[in-house]
Amino acid sequence: MGVIENEIVLFQGVDKIYNTGTVALNQLNLSVKEGEFISFLGPSGCGKSTALRMVAGLGEATKGKIEVFGKNPKDVIKTSNDVAFVFQDANLLPWRTVLDNVLLPLELRGSDKNSRKETAIKALEMVGLKDHLKSYPRQLSGGMKMRVSIARALAAKPKLLLMDEPFAALDEMTRQTLQMDLLNIWEKENMSVLFVTHNVYEAVYLSTRIAVMSARPGRLSNLIDVELPYPRERTNSKFTEYVDIASQSLEHSMGRKELG
Amino acid sequence: MSVETVTTKGEEVVKGVTGVKNTADKIKFNIKYLGPIFALIIFLSLWQFVPVLLDIKPFILPKPTDVVEAAIEDWHLLWPAMQVTIFESVIGFLLSAIVGIAISVLLASSRVLEISLYPYAVILQTIPVVAIAPIVVIWFGSGFNSIVIISFLIGFFPIVSNTLMGLNSVDKNMGDLFKLYNASKWQTMFKLRIPAAMPFIVSGLKISCTLAIIGSITGEYIAGIGGGKGGLGYSITVAAVQLKTPYLFACAITGALFGIVFYLLVSFLSRLILKSWHESAMKVEK
Repeated sequence: MGVIENEIVLFQGVDKIYNTGTVALNQLNLSVKEGEFISFLGPSGCGKSTALRMVAGLGEATKGKIEVFGKNPKDVIKTSNDVAFVFQDANLLPWRTVLDNVLLPLELRGSDKNSRKETAIKALEMVGLKDHLKSYPRQLSGGMKMRVSIARALAAKPKLLLMDEPFAALDEMTRQTLQMDLLNIWEKENMSVLFVTHNVYEAVYLSTRIAVMSARPGRLSNLIDVELPYPRERTNSKFTEYVDIASQSLEHSMGRKELG
Repeated sequence: MSVETVTTKGEEVVKGVTGVKNTADKIKFNIKYLGPIFALIIFLSLWQFVPVLLDIKPFILPKPTDVVEAAIEDWHLLWPAMQVTIFESVIGFLLSAIVGIAISVLLASSRVLEISLYPYAVILQTIPVVAIAPIVVIWFGSGFNSIVIISFLIGFFPIVSNTLMGLNSVDKNMGDLFKLYNASKWQTMFKLRIPAAMPFIVSGLKISCTLAIIGSITGEYIAGIGGGKGGLGYSITVAAVQLKTPYLFACAITGALFGIVFYLLVSFLSRLILKSWHESAMKVEK
């Protein structure tokens, strides 16, 4: 059917209703093209994380269809390294060194033993942690842990990177550096990113498109194309304009909830 | 010139401060170690003089010196008994560790098995081993085998319940991470669940190592045989029958010392195993 050639993710009339009766997602329709950086922006409870988890094959839609690279997400993670996930907390194994943590996906996927280490070191180099191979997670700051987590996701060379509020727990300075570094990696590595956040500035700074969500029931309330060249200036008046648009859209989506 | 004097003065001040700090540390150190030592000396002195003052016979309450005398006099009995008990306890403990961890891993690898059998593991743990020890003797006869089995049984259940709890304590996000990379059941077991359970397993081992000694001494009460193969438990029963109370005390204290050493050894090994762990993760073991 109407599958666009370079379409990477497709949500088609997706509903997600939990056993408790909570409607997490209601009629989500969205198509993500290759190379896009899309942020799901919304208040807590709008189902943005739920949507992301379903793309990773970690949950199933109650109704509707989700396709990743034209396939069922569960099949995609079974057969390929194309999807990687970065969790909100760095989610590192405390008994493994930085290098061993990054090696984990390669071990689990049974990739070639000789090239493994090289691949992992390259991924760590990309996030600027080449000098901490032998450190344990407990010896790292929050920002560094998140960098390791990103390196681990990159190690398997994914085509689609899913990130669930990865910078939410970091301080503002660290967050801004990581945002910059993430954009550099995204441009270099030729991947698509689905990014969940509740931070308007973050969404505008990073995304090619912002999917604004409203809560209870979670639904897509607006799609904003951010037509600003990278790297973006946070002080630029155009930037501020987009922040305003996104904020208003977010407020509107929440206001509707109050009326309803 | 003047700058130099200032620096030297500064250094002196710093030295002075560290000096003060060192003495403060020393005092702290002294209190920490001298306190218990003083308490012990006072306790031993009371123990030494009260029987003399009240004219209590050594077979009712022996003085510390009587106990030491008995230990030296009967060293040729005490030393082999100790070796036997140590050997039985270590074997019993190792068996409970190996079998306990292996069974837990098997149970945890199958949801059905675990749900069906875990309640019994908990119930069995509450059975006083002393109560089933005679049955073990009926089945396996007197001597080494029965004693090791009793020691094994008493140490086994704490390891199983701790290990199972640990294997099921894995963080949900880490579980998702492994799912995402399509990890097999055994990959998840060996690369995630077992390492994550280590602090729990270690605390189970610490409980079991002291229990294993209790198990073997209890076993020796019931299934101990003479001829230098009886261990401390057998010696204690014999000493009690013969009213050799000082020697009985010597046996009991020897058992306690062995318990402390064994516990410290297992704790030290645990520390080595958990070395790379985060401190917060290590707190679980308390």
